[in-house]
This record gives sequence, C-alpha cells and structure tokens, in this order.
Amino acid sequence: MQFLVSRFNPERDEKPWMQTFEVETWRGMMLRDALLEIKRQDESFAFRHSCGEGVCGSDGVNVNGTNRLACITPVSELKAPVEVRPFPGRPIIRDLVVDMSQFYRQYRAVDPWLVRKDPMPEQEILQSPEEREKLDGLYECILCGCCSTACPSFWWNPEKFHGPQALLTAWRFLADSRDQAEQERLDALEGPYRLFRCHTIMNCVEVCPKGLNPTKAIGHIKQLMLKNAI
Amino acid sequence: MSRTASGLKAWVLQRATAVYIGLFSLYFLLQMLLAPPDDWVQWRALFAATPMAVAMLVFMLAILLHAWVGVRDVLIDYVKPFWLRLSLLTLIALILVACGLWTLQLLILARLN
Repeated sequence: MQFLVSRFNPERDEKPWMQTFEVETWRGMMLRDALLEIKRQDESFAFRHSCGEGVCGSDGVNVNGTNRLACITPVSELKAPVEVRPFPGRPIIRDLVVDMSQFYRQYRAVDPWLVRKDPMPEQEILQSPEEREKLDGLYECILCGCCSTACPSFWWNPEKFHGPQALLTAWRFLADSRDQAEQERLDALEGPYRLFRCHTIMNCVEVCPKGLNPTKAIGHIKQLMLKNAI
Repeated sequence: MSRTASGLKAWVLQRATAVYIGLFSLYFLLQMLLAPPDDWVQWRALFAATPMAVAMLVFMLAILLHAWVGVRDVLIDYVKPFWLRLSLLTLIALILVACGLWTLQLLILARLN
C-alpha cells in the first residue's frame, strides 16, 4: 500500500514536502503500525505516539484530509495512496510533530479543575447518579486535539477563541454539581471571541475519535449564559 | 446586560431576528401568492395600511440587525488589520443605515395622499 507522508526538517526544508513510501499491510493493521514501518524504512521520520489504543491522544494526524488517531485507524478503511499530514493550522516542529502549546493554553484558560468555595468536607463530595450522568460524554476527552485543529474558527483565531476542546471542558465543569464557580466561568467566556466564535460548523463532532460532541456542549453553555442573563 | 456581553447579546439578537424574518417572509410570500395586488395603486395601499407598514419596519430593522451581526462575525473571523476592519465595519454600518432610512422614506411616501 502506498503512503504519502508529509516531511519537514526545520534545519533543511523551507516548507513541508510529501515523501512516498511502500508499506506491506496485514489484517488488522492500524495506521500507527504503518507509520512505525515507515520509521523502520527511514529512521529520520518523526511522529508522536504512545499507548497505541486510543487512550493517550498522542498520535493525532491528518489522514486523507481528516484528523484522526493513527492507532485506532485501520488502514483497510483508507483510500490509497494514503496522505498523512500533521494537524492543520499548528506550527510544525518536524514531520508530523506539531507545536500544541496554543491548544494547551486554551485548555488551561478554562480552569479545568473543580472550584469549591465551601470548606472542603471530610469525606468525598457526593453526587446523585443523575448528577453524575451529566458528565458522560464530557469527561472522556483525551486532549488529542483532533477537534480544535479541525475547527476553522480555531484556525482563524487560535489565540482568542478557546476552541472545541477547551469549551467542552468548560461545560464539563459547569455541568458538575460539585463545582461552585458557575458565575466566574460564564463571565470568563463572555465577549465576541472566547466562546462566540463557534459558528456550529461541527467539524469537531465529525472528527472526535471518542465520539464526543463539543458543539452540543457549546450550545449548553450559551443556553446557561442566556438563562443567567435574563 | 453589561458592555462586555457583546458575545451573548449578538448571538441572541441574531437568533431572535431570524425567527421574525422567517415568519414575516412566510406571511409575505403567502400574501403575494394568495392575494397578489393587481396594480400599483393596490401595491401602494398594501404598504399604506398601518399594521403592514409597522410589520415592514420591524422586518427591515430585523434584517439590518441580523446582517450587522453576520457581517461583523465574518469580519472578525477574516479581517485582522485594525484599520481595514474598522473601515469595513463603518462602511457596512453606513450602507445598512442607508437601507433602513430608504425603507422608511418609501413607507412614508406610500402613506402620503
């Protein structure tokens, strides 16, 4: 099977270029296995990967135009020649490795932790099964970055728009019955940029390898904001 | 809502105006299909009636606000240089205000004699 892989060495190249590799495939082979095979053929080829089972979120790449996790993408699903590029819109460090600092900054900006104003109880803070259920579809995010780097609004304003990943996380804590900073969290999302650059394009929903729905979470935030405003 | 509420305010405004624009367009379309005016005199009389004139004015206002939010969104997304964005926003604001005033003038003319 033929693979076209984006190569970029900042010390040598002006801009990224595509290199062709032939890889012998086997039944059940994942794209990560193919990339490892390419690395065996050319040691200088660089890409991030770790757990190999869609849990760590390290090996997000753009495959035939769609952001996916290489380790859970069967090559049998892909149309040859398979074009593998780094995430769009992020500065390339080398080959498929991109600089995700901006993405992590946006994540940090939504205070991704529980805020308690009451004194901490001796025991754990209890939740009813219904309250716990509200976090399903939110807490599973692995921060792979497939969604935010597929979002046109994040491409145009990555330094001001939080992006789908950070906004999903913002809703994860707004929806948490144990959190006590609703007002502060909503205030921090005001203005035309941080939340409202989302135009419900829904690329995020399409690409999320965990099947999460950031657009829905963003809708919930807007509704809660409206409820608080009138 | 505070000055900083420009995100939420714009978003709600865009949705609320969209509902009115949709409903009025539907009503106007049905009016034109079911009881189309035969001539210019009838056409003018249609807009001279107070309910229609008011509904039309609200419709125009809704269109202007809706367009303003939409165009502002596009400019915020794509036009980064400050002076270019400011100039374009000003130009579009002027065009929209001109459209609104023109509609007002037409409706006033329709009611005269």
